[in-house]
Amino acid sequence: MTFKHLVKTVFLTEIVKGMALTLKTMLTRPVTRQYPKEKRPAMPGFRGLHGLVRDQQTGEARCVGCGLCAAICPSKCIYIYTADSLDHKKIVERYEIEALRCVFCGLCVEACPYSAVILTEHYEYSDYSREAFYMTKEKLLANWDNYMGWEKNMEYFKKFWHPTADDFGFPKNQAVFRGKQNAR
Amino acid sequence: MMTDKGAAELQTKELTINMGPQHPATHGVLRLVLDLDGETVVKCTPYIGYLHRGVEKLGENRTYLTALPLTDRLDYISAMVNNQGYCLAVERLFGIEAPERAQYIRTMVSEMSRISSHILWLGTHALDIGAMTVFLYAFREREWLLDLFEMLCGARLTTSYARVGGIRNDVSQEFIDSLYRFTEEFPGRVEEYETLIDQNRIWLKRTKGIGVIEADEAVNWGLTGPTLRGSGVSYDVRKHAPYDAYDKVKFDVPVGKVGDVYDRYRCRMEEFRQSNRIIQQCIEQLPVGPIMAPDAPKLTLPPKNTVLSSMESMIHHFVLITKGPLAAPEGEIYSAVEAPKGELGFYFVSDGTGRPYRMRVRAPSFVHASVIPRLCEGSLIADVIANIGTVDIVLGECDR
Repeated sequence: MTFKHLVKTVFLTEIVKGMALTLKTMLTRPVTRQYPKEKRPAMPGFRGLHGLVRDQQTGEARCVGCGLCAAICPSKCIYIYTADSLDHKKIVERYEIEALRCVFCGLCVEACPYSAVILTEHYEYSDYSREAFYMTKEKLLANWDNYMGWEKNMEYFKKFWHPTADDFGFPKNQAVFRGKQNAR
Repeated sequence: MMTDKGAAELQTKELTINMGPQHPATHGVLRLVLDLDGETVVKCTPYIGYLHRGVEKLGENRTYLTALPLTDRLDYISAMVNNQGYCLAVERLFGIEAPERAQYIRTMVSEMSRISSHILWLGTHALDIGAMTVFLYAFREREWLLDLFEMLCGARLTTSYARVGGIRNDVSQEFIDSLYRFTEEFPGRVEEYETLIDQNRIWLKRTKGIGVIEADEAVNWGLTGPTLRGSGVSYDVRKHAPYDAYDKVKFDVPVGKVGDVYDRYRCRMEEFRQSNRIIQQCIEQLPVGPIMAPDAPKLTLPPKNTVLSSMESMIHHFVLITKGPLAAPEGEIYSAVEAPKGELGFYFVSDGTGRPYRMRVRAPSFVHASVIPRLCEGSLIADVIANIGTVDIVLGECDR
């Protein structure tokens, strides 16, 4: 046993080092959050509770009932029932999402040609009954009113309503590395 | 007082106990049936299947585009790598390639995923063995990465980010800057973890010489990833069959010597640094350009602004979503990526329709679960915990 090894064994140097680090960290700001009191804001474009976009002109849902979101949904949790109106126009009678079965992949947003379905940033919606998670058309429109609105809506679609023509070309202002100084 | 005669009459009997499926140290729902002679494990039998969801069968009923979210839930702590592996396999089947920028971004997020997966492994492995502090430190950095994932694609774990033929959306400048800051700070954080446990005598006692597996035997068991490299075999899919941007970045493949729990731990600690290096190079070399492959083989969705104005685009959009890509070539393909746990392979048999005829997932955790008896038998019951931790299995991937 070398002298160095002996010192290590007797004085517990590695343990002291570890403890010193722990002590040092005790003096820094905590990284934890007091969750229910202190809420964590979701990042823009968080995939949370569903919503149906309300059309600005008509005030009704923008959805035309083409059924692509239901077709692409991997968990098949979107139900659309359409009917003919008196003037032979297709109307969406019921648009329903089973939120409990949804996997929040966001493929419905990509599939929709009219940008009519979205996922809002709202993520706290626990309840005691299963009915509360069966989203009818009225509930979905209300979700959009409460948690999205027009300003956020545009941002959301810029981020997730893809692919756009930009994705196949060379758009301006693509994010690149701008040097170490600018990364701060 | 027991007489000599009484002691001779005492009989020892093997004790059979269940460890799991609800045991906190079995990392998920792994059930081990242990036959014990005192504290020594005589026989160890793993039982899997508690998390079976039939991902492979479900994949046969989804089109190539919509089976993607299923892969998030294989190895749910490194979803980015699974997405990448799936998309690469489909791309190779169809004979297309993602554009360069998409490849770089995919490589970048996969390495982020690897770091976040190894961080989770380090935290829980140390916690199982008895070093609780590391867990708290490790999760501080994991939170940063998960926040970055959320900024990037709106989800923290089940990302569904890669797309067949590219990626879902471009990265923002804010994301790049924050990630670069992370890569500058992270090596210092890895040193912190090492200060806490690397030389710690309890850690060394619990890991050195435990669960030793020689190189030949490790290869014979089909081990891959850090579990194999700990035994000194330098096998890494990223090096031996480079995909995406891995042939354009420099990195080393760390290997161990002895093949015990400590060596595998050292391998993963080195991988932190190598992954960090890869991310940094990816950011620095990130080219500008398209992020989706042009839709020539009718595999990617058409641009949104043409869907309502061009007839072909609209038809293509509807057909692709409802029927899947119809231009699928017949045949089969196996394509593998280096997941944090090992070699993650996807095997497709295509019959020319929009859905795979067969989708098989070669999950590293499934193979690694089979080696647990080999590592545990003959050791003490306390080392079973260390052995489960060191092979780093995720039961979501194991049971599929």
